[in-house]
Amino acid sequence: MNSATTLQQLLHGSLSERATAAEHLAQQGSEAAYAACELTAACGDAGAISDWAVAALEQLGPPPLSALESLVSLTHSEDPLTVYWAVTLLGRAGPDAAVHEQVLVTLLQHSKDLAVQEKAAWSLGRMQANSLGATQALQQASQSPEARLSRVAAKSLQQTQT
Amino acid sequence: MARKKSKFSLLMWLIFSGISGGGVTGYLKPNIPIIGPLIAKFTDKGQNLTSGSGNLLTESANGLLGTPSSGSYGGSAVAGRLASARQPSNGQQQGAIQPTTAAGSQGNGNLLIASFNIQVLGQSKISKPGMKELLAHVIRQFDLVAIQEVRAKADNVIPDLVTTVNSNGSRYNFVIGPRLGRSNSKEQYTYVFNTNTVEHDPSSVGTVNDPKDLLHREPFVTRFRARTQSPAQAFTFWMVNIHTDPDEVPEEVDALADVFQVMQKARADEDDVILLGDLNASEKQLGRLGKLPGMQWTVSGVTTNTRKNKAYDNIMFQGQATREYTGRWGVYDLERNLGLSREQALQVSDHLPVWAEFRVWEAPPATSPVGRPSLYN
Repeated sequence: MNSATTLQQLLHGSLSERATAAEHLAQQGSEAAYAACELTAACGDAGAISDWAVAALEQLGPPPLSALESLVSLTHSEDPLTVYWAVTLLGRAGPDAAVHEQVLVTLLQHSKDLAVQEKAAWSLGRMQANSLGATQALQQASQSPEARLSRVAAKSLQQTQT
Repeated sequence: MARKKSKFSLLMWLIFSGISGGGVTGYLKPNIPIIGPLIAKFTDKGQNLTSGSGNLLTESANGLLGTPSSGSYGGSAVAGRLASARQPSNGQQQGAIQPTTAAGSQGNGNLLIASFNIQVLGQSKISKPGMKELLAHVIRQFDLVAIQEVRAKADNVIPDLVTTVNSNGSRYNFVIGPRLGRSNSKEQYTYVFNTNTVEHDPSSVGTVNDPKDLLHREPFVTRFRARTQSPAQAFTFWMVNIHTDPDEVPEEVDALADVFQVMQKARADEDDVILLGDLNASEKQLGRLGKLPGMQWTVSGVTTNTRKNKAYDNIMFQGQATREYTGRWGVYDLERNLGLSREQALQVSDHLPVWAEFRVWEAPPATSPVGRPSLYN
């Protein structure tokens, strides 16, 4: 299955075709990075498709720069798993994604999902986001009663100060 | 999306401490982030089958496996296992294997313990024609397999798989942990073990408590004993099953160093801790875990994934304590051992099983007096 066919199936195929495409991508490791956005969106798909999409994303590594805008759009998804992975991939992009830090600041401050908040804090550190807004959001999060959020935010603050 | 983690009441924790004999001392030190394991809920154990179909293949499996009458299945299970385990993989094999008879356990008196990340092991995978049979064949190569990445909403996947393992008269059983993960995507750990050669201690089992949430998928720990005719002298050991978060590997291997040390102290009568799984870290990336005094890992210098470009799976223990390790280890190459193409092997998993061999008899303490007969010179 070539990459174009894989993407076509993942986006428009039947249930089983989408699952097959997601599984195929999960077997490709970082070579599946071209499908970063499609896989992130597939996290909101039905059971096995979502499972394979998550498996693919875990091993994907950083997304291509061309995917960043679309990933930012996906941070507005109603599916929390999609948002989680969009935030994660933006973080993996590192400083190249820093221009998009505001969306992560917003999620850190306002998401109702703790896992998304934690990933947003993590991603801001990876981006070395040192704007006033990011710093203030991380400082606030570092005071959170949630142990992991507090710890991740504090570490990200250190990373953004270096 | 609310994050759900397995949390147990203080009452359950106290009950576990009492049952396991681990006691409270050592678990409450504030500078150790990981407190001792809590008991977890388990699904029903697998059931043995007394018969199975003669041909485990379907045509659509393209003859992935030999028939049950072939040498790799029939006759001595040990011979079959050794033949498979003897297959060299990337030149790592540790010399010729000499099958021997031994009291108690299987042919050469040793246990083969493996770790296998079976990518997205769920209903859709085991429903593929021939897949259950193929996985069953792989599992039968080992006495005890720590499996990662069980991703199934229903609870039938591992029982069904173990039923298939046992369809040739084998007597495997399993123990499985809770669903874990910070997002809606959860995974379970499981141990599948040959009850003819390994005994499980149901009172020493649980998921490592992680109040600071240092680990995405907290290790699932339990204790086993080699089944022998002299249980008092049999090798006993903790198993610590782990699948780290690839985005937080340095932090997680550091936390695993604490987990390992806590497990070393979990029982005064147990010095053997085998930590194994998908660490998402090569042997050069083991951080503080790899620097623990005497820490040893089996997999070295070879890849452990199906695409042969990563070495993230390993089996680790403290070398002085766990002198039951014979020095034999391997990576079970799905392509070579099962005659699969790369694509077929990837359908099984993007990881290969890694294994290590241990003697069935408990090694005397390293400080045993000179002159005492020992199998471990």
